[in-house]
Amino acid sequence: MAELGSFTLLLALALSVYSFLAGLIALSFQKQKLATQPTSSKAPNLVPQSSGFGSLLRQSSERLSETARRAGIASFGAVLLASIILVVCAFQDNFSIAYIFHHSNRDLPGPYKFAVLWSGQEGSLLFWSLLLTGYAFVLRLRYKTDPRLFAYASVALAGVQIFFLSLLNFAAHPFAIMQGNLPADGSGLNPLLQYPEMVIHPPMLYLGYVGFTVPFAFALGALITKYPGEKWIHITRRWTMVTWGFLTCGIFLGAHWAYSVLGWGGYWGWDPVENASLMPWLTGTAFLHSVMMQEKRGMLKVWNMWLVFATFWLAILGTFLTRSGIISSVHAFAQSSIGDWFAWFLVLTLVVFLFFFVKNRKHLVSEHKLESLASRESSFLFNNLLFVLLCFTVLWGTWFPKISELVQGNKVTVGAPFYNRVAIPVALLLLILTAVGPLLAWRKTSLESLKRNFLWPTIGAVIVAIFLMITPESWGSVFGLKPWHDISYFYSLMAISLSVLVILTVASEFYRGGKVISKHTGQGTFASMVQLTHRNTRRYGGYIVHFGVVVVIIGLAGAAFNQDQEKEMGYGDRMSIGPYTLLCRSYTEDESPNYFSQWAMIDVFKNGKAIGSMTPVRRFYKASQQTSTIPDIRSTLNEDLYLVFEGVNQDNGHPIIKAHLNALVMWIWMGVWIMLIGTGLALVPNAQAPARAPVTARLERAQPAPVVTGD
Amino acid sequence: MTWLFVAVLFTVATLFYVFYIPGRLFLGPEKTRAGYLRERKDAVYENLRDLNFEYQAGKVPEVDYQQMKSSLQDEAAAILAEIARLENNPSSQKGFRS
Repeated sequence: MAELGSFTLLLALALSVYSFLAGLIALSFQKQKLATQPTSSKAPNLVPQSSGFGSLLRQSSERLSETARRAGIASFGAVLLASIILVVCAFQDNFSIAYIFHHSNRDLPGPYKFAVLWSGQEGSLLFWSLLLTGYAFVLRLRYKTDPRLFAYASVALAGVQIFFLSLLNFAAHPFAIMQGNLPADGSGLNPLLQYPEMVIHPPMLYLGYVGFTVPFAFALGALITKYPGEKWIHITRRWTMVTWGFLTCGIFLGAHWAYSVLGWGGYWGWDPVENASLMPWLTGTAFLHSVMMQEKRGMLKVWNMWLVFATFWLAILGTFLTRSGIISSVHAFAQSSIGDWFAWFLVLTLVVFLFFFVKNRKHLVSEHKLESLASRESSFLFNNLLFVLLCFTVLWGTWFPKISELVQGNKVTVGAPFYNRVAIPVALLLLILTAVGPLLAWRKTSLESLKRNFLWPTIGAVIVAIFLMITPESWGSVFGLKPWHDISYFYSLMAISLSVLVILTVASEFYRGGKVISKHTGQGTFASMVQLTHRNTRRYGGYIVHFGVVVVIIGLAGAAFNQDQEKEMGYGDRMSIGPYTLLCRSYTEDESPNYFSQWAMIDVFKNGKAIGSMTPVRRFYKASQQTSTIPDIRSTLNEDLYLVFEGVNQDNGHPIIKAHLNALVMWIWMGVWIMLIGTGLALVPNAQAPARAPVTARLERAQPAPVVTGD
Repeated sequence: MTWLFVAVLFTVATLFYVFYIPGRLFLGPEKTRAGYLRERKDAVYENLRDLNFEYQAGKVPEVDYQQMKSSLQDEAAAILAEIARLENNPSSQKGFRS
């Protein structure tokens, strides 16, 4: 099996190399052919000359291009076969393969054996390649949309495939054979990865990372060909949104995993690997907004090109951080010496992109200028600047330990306070823009219009802020909020109030739009709002995503009110936290084939009333000889009671229990679901648009050809 | 040796798929300036529709609406004029190239 796996990987590399080289040669030839054709009005280049040798060469280059496309498609088959072989080997406990030995064991449950594919460095690179070739497979099948642009994108993707498949074949081989005697059992999977979400978190994250290669490939193709118009953006729009959705899902699954498994009571620690996933998400989000300016007004072409590249580049950087171990992280499960490969690849992609950008930058001239600061365009522009500022802050903080080590010789790490100092004000400004943006018209918005549109949402937000401040503190969580007591309370109040402002502006957008439809169709307002959404799924799906984002923000704002307590608890011992009282009823040990476990049974009372019992667990995994905690979490809309079995007092055997009371955490997970629903909705094709606006009347007095760009 | 048999079979099937190309290839239409203009026309029409909708929803005052509508209609009319000119005289089309 290992031999077949190795062979298919080699075949995939050969096919990718062929796809790249043959595609490149074919495109170069087609480019030369076009360049030698006359362009005067007397001799159009629309229909290639089809006589004699020229025709033969043209057909040859087109056939060569077709073989390149097919080789790219076939490379997916080869990588898929290699992946299947690795998974089958994991299920067969084939410990002759070093990767299986290091990341699996006989008693590992089935789903985790499947997850072995992405649990270590070699496997995750194979998985990366599988997703990359999978995306490219779909792209190459859909080439009829625009064969020439797709051919360029296919070549760019083949180039990225070559890099990852070279890594797999020569630096991180997943089918490497164990040396010496065959071990009876494997070392087992990292206990932290033995959690149900870990079966889906990495695939989601990787689908996000890898997916950004597609918009990049199209952008590079459009840049190289000086592609006229914005159709390439229409083509990549869905790719980008799907990818963004996967990355969002991956990031929050990771946060949920950290919350549910790591046992520190939090979900985001500004760890380098978390940051690595956040950076492409930030630039990708910026791109999803700014791309609308290019589609609608032909603006920000250079900016968008760089955003697409930066997103792809940061995704590769993220993979590099996760897998190279160059920066210390609790998440870096696989560390090795593939850093140099990634560093060179990152440099190479930057050089290639920079070369074509410098060469063809004149093609990326904006068609319009910003007409007013109070316009949809300027809100997108500021939104982009804030996203990029945040991304740069995260990038700087992530690399600061390495930079300080290179400059000063000692590693200086930056923690949450550094990031929060920038991230919180930026997030609040972004919330303001999220509220303001939808109410601004394209081109310009008058003061009168602003006042009219903002009055009621602003009043609503102020009422909520006052309500939060005057409610009694005994209600717990964010109620009875006194912003003058602590800056974090002030930020929380701002975040919640601005979130309410966003919700109200989004609601007013649906309501106003629904009223317009209702006026024309006579339908009820709600039915009209549904129809409105169906007519412009991208816009109204986007609003639902915004709604999800603010629900997440409300959840994050709750962090200012978190509390924790730690106590050694014998039989009958009590601990109080917020309105809860915890009573230790019992503690014991257990054994399963995969691990030993210690757990405590804690009775929980709220305001003196029994509401149930909780059982925090601590496990010791036999194969890997590592421990892991499984916190017990009791979630409500208001707060989470989070219990961790920290350890045991060696003298008396009493468990040490840590209790966290985390405010509004459930809102985060609800918000993510709303974001994903919004993303899904935005991907649904629009219902038929209404009749077009009359413009032909002006045709007679119009002068031809003042339309800019296109070449 | 089963793996060798599978490897050979897979390789032969792959090579056959890659290099055996019967029939005509789909090349798609060449992108022309007229094609580009049609895309621009669609974008401007969409902007007009959005503007009308925002006006009806009460987001854009009358004065701004008339001014922006007029500007967009001029832009659309200019595009339509050039498309008409290119369609009446196809030989004057200027193709795009890299």
